[in-house]
Parts: sequence; C-alpha cells; structure tokens
Amino acid sequence: MSGILNYTLFHSMIRNSTSILFAMLACSITQQANILNVGVEGIMLVAAFTAVATSFFTGSWLLAIFAAIVAGVLIALIIAVANIKYKADIFAVGMTVNMLALALTKFANHNILHASGSFTSQDIKPIPDVKVAALSGNAVVDSLFNQYNLMEFIGIILIFVTGYFMYKTVFGLRTRSIGMNQMAALTAGINVVKQKYVVMVISGVLGGLGGAYLSLGYTHMFTENMTNGRGFMGVAAMFFGNMNPVLGWVGCLLFGLLDSVGSQLQAYGIPSQLILMQPYIITVLILSAVLIVRKRKKTKLQSTNAGEA
Amino acid sequence: MKKNDYIEILLSILAALFIGGIVIFIMGFNPLAAYGELFKGAFQGNFGFGSTLAKFTPLLLTALAFHISTTVSVFNVGVEGSLYLGAMAAAWVGFGLTGVPAVIHVPLCLIAGAAAGGLWALIPAALKVYYNVNEICTTILLNYVAIDITSYMVNFPLSSKSGSPQTPSISDSASLTEFMLPSKANTGLFIAIALFVVLYWMLYHTTMGYRLRSTGANPAFSEYVGINPKREMMAGMFISGALGGIAGAIEVMGVYGCFLDNFSNGIANNGMLVALISRGDIRIIPVMAFFLAILQSGALGMQRYTSLDDSIISAIIALFILFATMQGLFKLKTTFGGPKKHTGLKTGSEK
Repeated sequence: MSGILNYTLFHSMIRNSTSILFAMLACSITQQANILNVGVEGIMLVAAFTAVATSFFTGSWLLAIFAAIVAGVLIALIIAVANIKYKADIFAVGMTVNMLALALTKFANHNILHASGSFTSQDIKPIPDVKVAALSGNAVVDSLFNQYNLMEFIGIILIFVTGYFMYKTVFGLRTRSIGMNQMAALTAGINVVKQKYVVMVISGVLGGLGGAYLSLGYTHMFTENMTNGRGFMGVAAMFFGNMNPVLGWVGCLLFGLLDSVGSQLQAYGIPSQLILMQPYIITVLILSAVLIVRKRKKTKLQSTNAGEA
Repeated sequence: MKKNDYIEILLSILAALFIGGIVIFIMGFNPLAAYGELFKGAFQGNFGFGSTLAKFTPLLLTALAFHISTTVSVFNVGVEGSLYLGAMAAAWVGFGLTGVPAVIHVPLCLIAGAAAGGLWALIPAALKVYYNVNEICTTILLNYVAIDITSYMVNFPLSSKSGSPQTPSISDSASLTEFMLPSKANTGLFIAIALFVVLYWMLYHTTMGYRLRSTGANPAFSEYVGINPKREMMAGMFISGALGGIAGAIEVMGVYGCFLDNFSNGIANNGMLVALISRGDIRIIPVMAFFLAILQSGALGMQRYTSLDDSIISAIIALFILFATMQGLFKLKTTFGGPKKHTGLKTGSEK
C-alpha cells in the first residue's frame, strides 16, 4: 500500500481535479441563478479544440487561452439564447449542445487539422508549468509544491474569486436571489434576463479556461470527445458542494484523488473498470447522504417545532 | 401537440438541413446531390432500408423509456445504463441457458433484460422519491457505473476468452430472426412497435395510465384523490428502465449476437432527444425516431458520395434538435392564430 499512498499522489490529485474544477465553477455560478448547465461538457470540448488549433497555428498559448474563452462564451451564449429567449428546456439544450460540440469538433478535427481521432504536433505550444528553481532541490518538496501548471494555480484562485463574488457582492446577491425566487427577484427590480445572460457568459469563460487546460495543460493534444464526462463530473461536484465553490472543490479533489489512486492500483492487477466506477458511486453516495441528513434534520426540526406549539 | 408545433418541427428540420447544406457546399460538394445520396442510402435496397429499421428499433424504445419517466415528472437520463445492463442480462441468459426452445428462450431473455434495466432505474428513482436527490445528476453518474460494470463482466467473468471484449455468442434459440439481409434488421422491430402500442393504450386507456399521468401533472392533487404519487413515480421509472433494458436485449439478440463492450455509443441519449423534441406527445415519438434513424443510416450513403464523414450528419441532427427545442423560434404566432401556451416537459431544474 505504501507504494500507492505516497507524496506524489498530492500532485496528481491536483492535476486530475483541475479540469473538473473549472467545470464545477462554470455550473455552480449558473446553478445559483437556477440554470442547470449540463452544456458545460460541450463548452469545454469546443474550447479544448479551439485552444489546440490556435496554439498550433499561432504558436502562442496566451492567444490560445483567449480563443478558448471566446469559443466557450459563444457556446454558452447559444445555450443562453435558446433557454432564456426561446424558453427551450435547459436540460434539452445542454444535452443537444454537447452533441453539437462533439460533432463540430470531430468535423473540424478532420477538416481543419486533417487528423482523425487525436491531433498532436510539435507546433502546439502548451500552457507553461510554473517552476521555482529554489524548490527543486528536494524531491518531496519539488513534487508537493513545484511544477504546477499555470492553469492549476488560476483554477484555485478562481474558486475564491467566484466564492467572493457569489457571497460578498451585490452581483452575487442578485444572482442568488434569482435562484431562490425568480418572481421575488423580478419584483425587487432585478433585471433577471440580463443577469442570467451575464452569468452564462461567465460560465462560458470558466468552461473555456477548463477546455484550454484540458488540451494545453493536462495534455498537449486534442482528442475527439476528450472531455469524456468531465463536464458531468463538474455538475456532480457542484451538487456535492451545493453550489458553493469551495465545497465543490472538495468534491473535485475527491474525484482527482480517486482517479490518481485508481491508475496506481491498476498496476497491482485490479481491473480498471472496478476502480473507474468508484468516483461515480462515491458521488452518488455522498449526494444521497447529504440530502438524507438534511431531510432528517428538517423532520426533527418540524417535530420539535410542533412539540413547542 | 398543436398545429404550430408540427410546423415548428418541420421548419427546424429544414433550417438544420439548410445550414448543413451550406457547410456541404463550402466543402465543395453539391448539397442537393449529397442529401439525395443520404436518402438513397437510407431507403435503397435491403441493406439501406434494413439498416434504417435496425437503427429505428432502439431509438423508439429508448425514446419511449424517457417519455414514460417524464410522464411521472422524473428525468431518467439513465436509460443508457439500463440499456447496457439489460443487454448484459439478456446475453447472459442467452448463452447460459441451452436446450430450451426458442418460444421460451426469447421471452426469457427479454424479461431478464427488462428486469435488469428496470431494477437499475429503481436506484435513482428511490433516491429521488424518498430523499429528493436530483435524478438528473444521479442517473448521469450511474450510467458510467453501469457501463463500467458491464465492461468488467465482459472482460473478466463472462468473457468469451477470444481476445476481444465480448461474451460468448448467444444460442440460436435466443436469437431474434433477421430479415432484409445483409442488414441488421430483426424481429425486434415488431417487439418495439408492439410495446409502443401497448404503452400508448396503457397510458391513455387504463387507470394505471391515468394514475401515472396524474402523478406527473399534479402530485398534490393525485395524493388528494387517493393516488400514491411516490409509488407511481417508482412504477414509472421501473417501466422506463425496463424499456431501456429491452432495447439493450434486442441489440444483443438481434444485432450483435453477443454482448460487446461499449456497443451502444449513446443510443439512449439520442432516444432521449427524440422524446424531448416530441414535446410530450407520445404519438410523434415513432415519427421522430424514424426520421433520426433515416439520417443516421443515410449518413453512410452520403459518406460514400462526398467523403464527408458522419460528423456533419450528427451536427445537422444536433442543430435540428436545438431548433426544435426552442419555442417560437420561427415567429408563427401572427400567421397561425393567437399566442400559444406551451405544455411541454418540466425538468427537475425548474423548481
């Protein structure tokens, strides 16, 4: 077991959790306004492709991140217009956009990058890792604190930025009030439509960053369907943290940890399928446990209130 | 569905085909000729039309599965998981039992598939009904679990040991009869159509159907008139999962002849989208499922003609569904009478 549970696990946990983290942020912020953004999977996939293509053609990872954000916002706006203006069911739009994203990136991969399956090239400039020479002396310190990808830092910073905006600013209060009671928010004079659009744009930016990380930080290539459910895991992490970015992060770290442990256990001859299903089972169990406890508390509260009355 | 809805769907199809046509044109092909090849591919010869029918069967069943869950206002995204487990159960009974006549073996396999799929759907159903755990989230997650479970079984305990991840072939007595060879069309088609008729009759002409529909429309009222909405939701989800399981069983018994790892590739997702664009009208589901089947099987024909791969067809399908889910996208209110009220589906996300 000591071979599995060692200090390198921390680094790979952070690595594996970061793409889910961006997805979690992207749908936490929309869920606050009562928009269940399952389309984050598609946003990330299109952004991942755009990032690789831009990096390949321009040789600049900064431009690539920017292009990924633009692509993410565009897809988010499709969802927003369909849902807000044309009253399309948010879940249906999200799933359709995921399907569209899969088809479009596959099409573009064939016809723009002339690759099938996955595209990789020496000309793709990845997002750099942050290396501090002073820390690289000791192997343990180096693994724990050094050589993280730039986006992994940005992701963690964004958790707290998002949390601050949601819970400490007027913008956040307005957004949350829509989620709590849209009619009341409307009556209070909040421009609900505009607020929802803004939230979706921010969601597109976050999803775009997640996509860029996936294809230029986590890997240095584009693969068809490379998001592979990470957007949905982000949705799950959002439910896990009940829309709170910091609590959602805990969920992401859990996914990341199980992913890392799983890939190491595989070396010990345990069937990969049995390991791969663990994060999903654990999320379902935790989600259920959270709600069961909440329900118990509620009924307890009701019974004590009834007793006092 | 109202007249406006039909016209909106038709216009959605045309708009999606138009946009797809522009892309095909930019790629240097004649869009009309390409679409001609598409429809030829979907209808011409035994192989073409047979493939369309073979694709139609699981689309219809999974769309019905999703429809019945939304009838009791549960969003069962987990039909895909039920499909995999149903397929696995049917394959197991199919190759495990031998020396049984087909009259018994085929129904046994179908029942095994239905039971596996239905029981699997009861997990998210119970969590939703008794603890209010969001079923969209749990069913999406449980799909991955179901796929991993079947992948494990097909690679280890039930492997055919032939090198490729599949179970041993099912015995002849468990196979559905194929027709229109060399296509994969099989008698599962008639099972699917029969199930559609039964389901329609059950939903609109029996008390059980009334209870289910009433639960979805207004659980509080249902409870008042003596219906147990929790039980009805569980029942609806069981039927939903069972239909998904039967869809998987038919794929095994009629198309593949064994359980193949990862065989579905999102069949149930497409079925779900079929149900969504049908806007809660069960009578439209077969039409939409058939249309999607035409596009999917015709994609091959178009690929031969244009060297454009099937991703363009997937994009057209996605665009069509996207347009179809939008209400009043084509501004028909002034042309076809007063403002219409939408009576579509409600998701768990709209609280």
